[in-house]
Amino acid sequence: MITRRHVVAGAGALTAAAMAGNRPALAQGIPAGYSADYKDLVDKAVKEGAVSIYTSTDDVQGRPLIEAFRAAFPGIRVDYNDLGTNGAYNRVISEAAAKQVGSDIVWTSAMDLQMVLVSKGQAETYKSPEAAQLPAWANFNDQLYATSVEPVAIMYNKSMLGALKPPQTRAELIAFLQTNKETLKGKVASFDPEKSGSGFLFFNNDARTTTDTWELVKAFGGTDPKVYGSSGAMREKIASGEHWIAFNLIGSYAIEWAKKNSNLGVVLPPDHAAAFSRVANISKGAPHPAAARVFLDFLLSQRGQTAMAGSGAPSIRTDVSEGLNIAKLNEMAGGKLKPIPVSAALLEASDPKTRAEFFQKWKQALRG
Amino acid sequence: MSLANDAPRFRAGVILALFAMVAAPALLVIYQSVLDAPFFDDNVRFSLDAFRFVLTDPEFYRALWTTTLYAFGMVVVAVPLGGLLAFLITRTDLKGRKWLEPLVLVPMFLSSIVLAFGYTVSVGPSGFVTIAFKSLFGAAPWSIYTLPGIILIGGLSHVPTVYLYVASAMRRLPSDLEEAARTAGAGIWRVSLDVTLPMVLPALVFSAALNLLLGFETFGIPLVLGDPNGILVLTTYIYKVNTIFGAPTYQVMAAVTVFLILITLPLVFIQRRLLRHARRFAAVGGKGARTNLLRLGSTGQAVALGLIGLWLLVSVFFPVGGIVLRAFVENWGEGVRLTEQLTLANFKAVFEIPSLSRGILNTILLAGVGGAIAVAFYLLVGLAGHRNRGRSGTLLDYSVLIPRALPGLIVGLTFFWLFLFVPFLIPLRATLISLLIAYIIVGLSYGLRIIQSTLLQVAPELEESARITGASIYRSWRDVVIPLVKPGLAGAWAMIMIVFLREYATGVYLMSSGTEVIGSLMVSLLTSGAMDQIAALSFISIALTAVGLTLALRLGAKLHD
Repeated sequence: MITRRHVVAGAGALTAAAMAGNRPALAQGIPAGYSADYKDLVDKAVKEGAVSIYTSTDDVQGRPLIEAFRAAFPGIRVDYNDLGTNGAYNRVISEAAAKQVGSDIVWTSAMDLQMVLVSKGQAETYKSPEAAQLPAWANFNDQLYATSVEPVAIMYNKSMLGALKPPQTRAELIAFLQTNKETLKGKVASFDPEKSGSGFLFFNNDARTTTDTWELVKAFGGTDPKVYGSSGAMREKIASGEHWIAFNLIGSYAIEWAKKNSNLGVVLPPDHAAAFSRVANISKGAPHPAAARVFLDFLLSQRGQTAMAGSGAPSIRTDVSEGLNIAKLNEMAGGKLKPIPVSAALLEASDPKTRAEFFQKWKQALRG
Repeated sequence: MSLANDAPRFRAGVILALFAMVAAPALLVIYQSVLDAPFFDDNVRFSLDAFRFVLTDPEFYRALWTTTLYAFGMVVVAVPLGGLLAFLITRTDLKGRKWLEPLVLVPMFLSSIVLAFGYTVSVGPSGFVTIAFKSLFGAAPWSIYTLPGIILIGGLSHVPTVYLYVASAMRRLPSDLEEAARTAGAGIWRVSLDVTLPMVLPALVFSAALNLLLGFETFGIPLVLGDPNGILVLTTYIYKVNTIFGAPTYQVMAAVTVFLILITLPLVFIQRRLLRHARRFAAVGGKGARTNLLRLGSTGQAVALGLIGLWLLVSVFFPVGGIVLRAFVENWGEGVRLTEQLTLANFKAVFEIPSLSRGILNTILLAGVGGAIAVAFYLLVGLAGHRNRGRSGTLLDYSVLIPRALPGLIVGLTFFWLFLFVPFLIPLRATLISLLIAYIIVGLSYGLRIIQSTLLQVAPELEESARITGASIYRSWRDVVIPLVKPGLAGAWAMIMIVFLREYATGVYLMSSGTEVIGSLMVSLLTSGAMDQIAALSFISIALTAVGLTLALRLGAKLHD
């Protein structure tokens, strides 16, 4: 399956380049492969004039996508609200209760919270014409779509690690933390599952899908561990040498950072290549329903995905040549990339009992 | 004659409106704390589960204990230092004290998030100061991520608050008592310990109580410096319980806030009592008493200037230097050659991204125009409470206290809901007006204090003579009081402007696309970890504050009341 996809990706890249040359701007026409009446939807969307996005993708990273969308649909203004995962969720349920829905698209990395919104009936059902281009696990009942594939990674500071050989696999990481326990005191960082939804998603998924997660957390606990609420905060501390190595941070960011700073090293451990996705839905009762649909389609389209991949969110499509895509990532992970599927199983993560059990184990293991 | 019964309708109207504005968020928090779901949920029921959770959570007690240590530790650091600085600058012939004063106040004008970032870049384990120190002495024996480190930083950054109160008390102190002691042969330290200190004791105690209160409310410093090590205080605990359940659990946040109110209200109450005494005390000296300055002598000068220099280095240069450096580089730390890293890319990104550049404009607008509106509002409230000894005056006193007990993040969240669910407020939600109203509430106690002290400087005889010649109370305000306090108002405007520039927590929930503000943008960017832009925004925020402060001094703002 992987090889086939990879071939498709190569071919796709060529076509994309060719197409980009021939057709510089879409200019509110119908994208190729869409049904003829899509023009009506675009006309309606232009009449609505705006699309409102609630997201956790910050303005810096989201900007290329928004600019690409503006170029394709100059008549539709984008109101981009970076609210964070919790902030977006909070605003959506509050506005729904007040009957003043303000969001057209909710697009965040909190896969579990997004699934809660779907289960609460806050998502519109819409079959995107791009749906056929996505893997099956990336579309939940035409209500929630995965828009990226972002693996977790190990990142380290080359000069600080010095003679220590950076671990290349999950198993090596555990051994690395155990044997260098004393040297690494206060030098190891990871995501905080208590403060960060992404952190919880990663570790909880690890605990469910692998057998050595608690062993890893225990080894981490032995190093006087430091936990952070964002990958960016970890980057700052790794790059400055305050910490030497971090694991379970967002790999796509790490790869971008390592490109700009040669002192940073990144490993996508092939024996544990979990990946999460930013997921998007159309809000129930969206104030600009047509524009919402047009935006979602664009987000999943080759052009939208190309813009996203260019700013560090690897594409879920195999026909995007910019940056990374799902096929390339899979290759880097030795064919063992394991994206977290967009499914009802995500709801478990917001079940109070699951969480309480998880945190109990987490705290116990972290004591070393 | 008594002025208390004048303009009862105006007074009652303004005070009731204010009370509604401040009571609404507090009541909403208390109501939410006894529910089992968001208050707007269809299946919501009364429940004490949130309190049960909090009271059985060992983390809560740990956070409570840490907060208590933090608050008292801050007082131990800030009060003696602030008192000493005030003494040196107001009561001695210290060289350069004119330009030292605004410098001493700088930490007060920076948001604590900005301060904390600055410290990590300068004196964190890989900070430039730490690295330089290590290369000189082999090791750097400090850690800013430990509780003592955090307390020290918190304490140092609150020295200006103590300074403000103590300096203003010291300025009002007549110097004849000190001179008498000097002529009787007492040395300078004897005089300051036996004469000056007892006289300003009320101000010291008051500022200690105020710092204790600020210690319990503190958010930015423990968030940035304490969190990675698991050091939690009550406000960061609130932040955490919001995420720990997966979906936000407002009832638990609300329950913790109720505890915070229960802790801080008595403190605010004590503080008010002390303030009343402090005012009475200070009045003993009266105005116009000439102050003769104590001579320090050349050794004294050197010691005092050295001490102040050291404090400035640690409290101003380290954090501001850290921010300035980080704003112009992408990488820093061990083994990084800073000269190779210099870049303007961080600023370029800020100015290219519409929301960030809009955030800068909005912040300037909110601070400038909004600050002026806030001063007008505080003036109305101030007049309503001016020489008001009636019941509405007491209600006013308490209304001012309530917002003090609520963390800015919670005020912002409750205002978000009020603007969403209260019908006549709905049209304002997506505008800067919603932020302005929340800011006015958050800045209330500080702003009103400035206005009230300005109003109190108008001698009652002036108003009384206007009344006797037949002017109505409104006329006496319009033609006598307001013209007389006008210069004070300009200064107050500049000070409020700085307070609004600094604010960050209040806007987090309130701002939308189009109404972004710098402080809250930094909090949003923090969740994704975009440090480059945070540093650039911090730098811009410091620059704007410097402009505001210069303006304030030009307009004759009195940094002390």
